[in-house]
Amino acid sequence: MTSLKRTQPTGSDSTNLSSKVYVRTTRAGKVQKIVREVYLRQDIPCSSALCSECSKISTTYARGRAQPPVLAAKPLTSETFSTGHYLVPDTNAVLTGMDLFELESAFKDVIILQTVLEEVKNRSLPLYHRLVALTKNEDKRCYVFFNEFRMETYVVRQTGESINDRNDRAVRRAVQWYKEHLELSVKKKACPAIVMISNDNDCRKKAIAEGLVGLSLSKYVSGLEDADTLLDMVNEGREREDAKTTQENFYPEYYSLSKMTTGVKAGTMHQGTFGVSPFNYLEGTVRVPAFERPLIILGRENSNRAVSGDVAVVEVLPKEQWKTPSSKIVEEETLTKNDNPEAEDGETVISNKERKALQEDVKKAHGTTTEGKPQPTARIVGIIKRNWRQYVGHVDKDSVRTSDKLSRAAQTVFVIPMDKRIPKIRVRTRQAGELLGKRVLITIDSWDRDSRYPVGHFVRSLGELESKGAETEALLLEYDVQYRPFAKSVLDCLPEEGHDWKVPADTSDPGWRDRRDLRDLLVCSIDPPGCVDIDDALHATQLPNGNFAVGVHIADVSNFVKPDTAMDREASMRGTTVYLVDKRIDMLPMLLGTDLCSLKPFVERYAFSVLWELTPEADIVSVDFNKSVIRSRYAFSYEQAQLRIDDASQTDDLTQGMRILLQLSRTLRAKRMAAGALNLASPEVRIETESETSDPIDVKTKQALATNSLVEEFMLLANISVARRVQTAFPQTALLRRHAAPPAANFATLTHQLRVKRGLTLDVSSSKALADSLDTCVSSDSPFFNTLIRILATRCMTAAEYFAAGTLAPAQYRHYGLASEIYTHFTSPIRRYADLAVHRQLAAAIDYAPLAPSLQSRSRLEGVCRNINVRHRNAQFAGRASVEYYVGQALKGRDLIEEGHVMRVFENGVVVFVPRFGIEGLIRLRDMGTPEPVGEFDGEEYVLNVTGSREVRLELFDEVKVRITDEVEESTGKRKVKLGLA
Amino acid sequence: MPLDTSSYSLALLRLDGRRWNELRRIHAVISSQPAADGSSYLEMGNTKVICTVTGPSEQKRTGPQQPTGPTASARIDVEVSVAGFSSVDRKKRSRTDKRTAEMQHILVSALSDIVHTHLYPHSTILISLHVLSLDGGLLAALINASTLALVDAGIPMSDYLVACTTGSTVNNASSRAVPARQTIPGIRSMANEVDDPLLDLNGLEEQDLPFVTVATVGSEKGRVAVCFSETRMMAERLEEMLAVGVDGCQMIRKVLDASVKAHGRRMLDDT
Ligand SMILES: [Zn+2]
Repeated sequence: MTSLKRTQPTGSDSTNLSSKVYVRTTRAGKVQKIVREVYLRQDIPCSSALCSECSKISTTYARGRAQPPVLAAKPLTSETFSTGHYLVPDTNAVLTGMDLFELESAFKDVIILQTVLEEVKNRSLPLYHRLVALTKNEDKRCYVFFNEFRMETYVVRQTGESINDRNDRAVRRAVQWYKEHLELSVKKKACPAIVMISNDNDCRKKAIAEGLVGLSLSKYVSGLEDADTLLDMVNEGREREDAKTTQENFYPEYYSLSKMTTGVKAGTMHQGTFGVSPFNYLEGTVRVPAFERPLIILGRENSNRAVSGDVAVVEVLPKEQWKTPSSKIVEEETLTKNDNPEAEDGETVISNKERKALQEDVKKAHGTTTEGKPQPTARIVGIIKRNWRQYVGHVDKDSVRTSDKLSRAAQTVFVIPMDKRIPKIRVRTRQAGELLGKRVLITIDSWDRDSRYPVGHFVRSLGELESKGAETEALLLEYDVQYRPFAKSVLDCLPEEGHDWKVPADTSDPGWRDRRDLRDLLVCSIDPPGCVDIDDALHATQLPNGNFAVGVHIADVSNFVKPDTAMDREASMRGTTVYLVDKRIDMLPMLLGTDLCSLKPFVERYAFSVLWELTPEADIVSVDFNKSVIRSRYAFSYEQAQLRIDDASQTDDLTQGMRILLQLSRTLRAKRMAAGALNLASPEVRIETESETSDPIDVKTKQALATNSLVEEFMLLANISVARRVQTAFPQTALLRRHAAPPAANFATLTHQLRVKRGLTLDVSSSKALADSLDTCVSSDSPFFNTLIRILATRCMTAAEYFAAGTLAPAQYRHYGLASEIYTHFTSPIRRYADLAVHRQLAAAIDYAPLAPSLQSRSRLEGVCRNINVRHRNAQFAGRASVEYYVGQALKGRDLIEEGHVMRVFENGVVVFVPRFGIEGLIRLRDMGTPEPVGEFDGEEYVLNVTGSREVRLELFDEVKVRITDEVEESTGKRKVKLGLA
Repeated sequence: MPLDTSSYSLALLRLDGRRWNELRRIHAVISSQPAADGSSYLEMGNTKVICTVTGPSEQKRTGPQQPTGPTASARIDVEVSVAGFSSVDRKKRSRTDKRTAEMQHILVSALSDIVHTHLYPHSTILISLHVLSLDGGLLAALINASTLALVDAGIPMSDYLVACTTGSTVNNASSRAVPARQTIPGIRSMANEVDDPLLDLNGLEEQDLPFVTVATVGSEKGRVAVCFSETRMMAERLEEMLAVGVDGCQMIRKVLDASVKAHGRRMLDDT
């Protein structure tokens, strides 16, 4: 290390040492005093290409690495700033204007101060990550200036000064320093202006008094070229320059953070995530540890500006106000159709219609007795964390004043989010006419006490409503699926040979190191028809001792995706491949997924093999893990494999091997079922498409063959064997997957329903008991009844999740659904990041390769788990939503009568499930006839007696004939599947 | 939420404003407790340690495992106590704490090598260390403080034993995968993410990064006497970490040497 020359003598010289002392409150409510040293220095460059002073500094970086100046010598000019300008946004400007800063056409040469970076991180982690990504984008020329470490710009907080004032002062000091520094080191006439962007009036005034340039975000934007479009993106809510005259506040004020922390600690308040009922937008729930059943939040006033997904603090209401969960369908669209987006004055929090709906509900609650025991209700007193994201929606036609496309007048409109649980959002725009009938992307900026609805702004338009492109993109955005093409840096990580890559012929090649040559084994793969990313292949032979040698061979993806490369980072961010009906969004580039890693037949491929010796009773005698080279003999579809096995004339070794596998898989399955594995149903449908246009023509329910479960059983076995092995090797950091046993309270409703309606009992004491009692839930008149119950039971379950072994006690590793003590994902590394990580851990466990540091640290691994858990869930939601969309498309213009089953009964309607299409939908009273028939609801018996224009008795679990049509929704012009009674 | 070690790649500045190869402030006092045979007070950043040396004193004749015979040389005992108020969370570490015991053991074996124990047969040198404040680099501070106190006690040793920690900024991007909502095209190639060795980690950095404590004996051609790590790290990073650590030890050695000499001058002036 010859480059170890120190430029700044530190020593005991205390002039360049300062310390930061601050007080922090921990999650447990403990107050900690943190003392930190800060070393102040003078060698932090301004990073302007114009500055000759700072170019000398770069020599002090590690390993002689020089950082070229980021800020351009010729920054963007405008009318106001003829010599060009550098921007210095304050925290609020970044928080409110992130979409603007990400624009490609404007906002270049931005100086992000460390003060701002830290504050942004405090306020919003997602925005912080976007900001960091921005600084890595070369085109944006975004420079992070560590002003808190530079001696001239470091600011000491004065006594009595608030932290915000201190930070504002730090920003102004940095702006001033930049100005003076550049004036000194650049010839005066060409010196770019330093423009501070702040929405704070006071701060701007002070800046101007100090001789600096300070502009508000909107003022700056209005000086740009396409100001009109850009102004839309300026965050309306938070920018209150000309504070409106004080208005009546609709919502109660939030409690202070300290009051809430004290309350939560003392048990008088509770913290949890707020969720909104999909059937009643006025009813939300918060699940808190102190109560077995979720707390009900009723009405706008109580939900107090919380949006589904926010982490909120609640106060439980007095017992007189407790109630049963709503048994009524309440839709926002119908109740608030006439609200005026502009009219802020005459507005009340609760419209009369809403009040009426609520009152009816409460009355109802007091009438009920015994079983429908009132549940505690609560009101929200504060928000700990907003979980606002970008939302996909469409402009409410009725809220647009002038739909003239040429009109550039700003008006406020409502955007109705696709997600029914999100309230409509007030958006101010100059392009209302153009956006009508489009899918649009919006964000929520704020929700103040004086506004009935949240306020947001447009991000961009995705295209025409109903068009396939826009709807698919909408779906991907809604579920946060990363769908952009892979960046060049990712593609650069692929092998140079591209599709010509081959397993080296020479076995002394380093690629063959520690690999077993299994090319002689008769390996084959069995997958759904048309599968191109073949993750797994199998083989089996009989051993002389009567046992069987069985192998599961998994694509050796970790051979191509090395840890901490751009490709690895991208894959870890994507987390999983997302399958839509007509589209696959890959986790890894195509070259790997469908070719080099795919265990295609007749070519040699690297694999990671799990080799067992199994007794005829399918007990494991031994297991061995090896990196290997295999050559698959055939790629079967499930159907082909089934035919081959059933064909008695086939007696070759490959077919014999498959028969062994099938036999063993039956034994394995029987053993698993005996141990209490659950057979849970989720409706799966397949969309038949016309190959040319990929327009859907029909919907079919998926068929299960014995060969499906053949593959499944061996994958489970491999996953379990691998889980044991990595857990032994890395008791702290093994990446595992668990499925927690659901609390019995989850099943309360279903148990009650089964008892009342069918006299059946559901034993939920263990997975085995549940599996057995589910088997008894049959109905002689309806073969589908059992599946229906399984679907409903599935919804009572908790979600399976990935976790790092060290975070939980071994007793909690259990996978409830599979009835296995330990489990992980190993068998699909092409399409799941978890599997790839487990491959690396297993490779380290067998001493094949050292473990990457990112998989060694428990805290990092927890981060990985958190992300892939979310990604995994979103991928499932996106897949389902895609099927739903296509089912809708396939039903376009049809008018069918199908069999349906009542899943849920409300006062004013029922939810019906149609097995043939796997869809469930509402049939409201008003859909049953005109004039709207009268419903008499019995919540104890789950019966809705309809009289009037239509006479029918609707009972839970009953089979009904359903008429399926599609209708165009009036307000949106959107096509929807409509269910009615036949 | 203050910035964490992942922000290093933004400007190649560490959490406290240091560059990769800079030590924290060192403040060393010799004879801090004049009543003791030898004593020192050492600050490395916010890690603060007091050390006193008692002895060499005659060994108490207890215990069966007495070394006998002419080769018996002085025994070094080390006691480390970490004050309850030393870190953010007030927590008393017991004397039988495994980590403390391990550090005591390392100190004993490293010091036994350089102290000329054969000069004091059948005697004990007791080194007591009190940690007043803890902010990373504990073992290194303990070693350095012991060296100073031994010098103060006038016990002959072959050279200074000095120590410091070195770490490595591993790349956190893949694991902190809280994804940016929009991938922005044209992102600067991530392939050259920063993986610098870091000298003298503070407490926060120690929590996040892999690190090694390195101690060396002697100047330029010195040898490594202690190399100790409790974290996992990539084998290929170790070499450069050690190189940086050894250089760091030389810097510390100069600082300690200067304070010893200054103390010597003061003593001469006083008399
Ligand atoms: Zn400069």
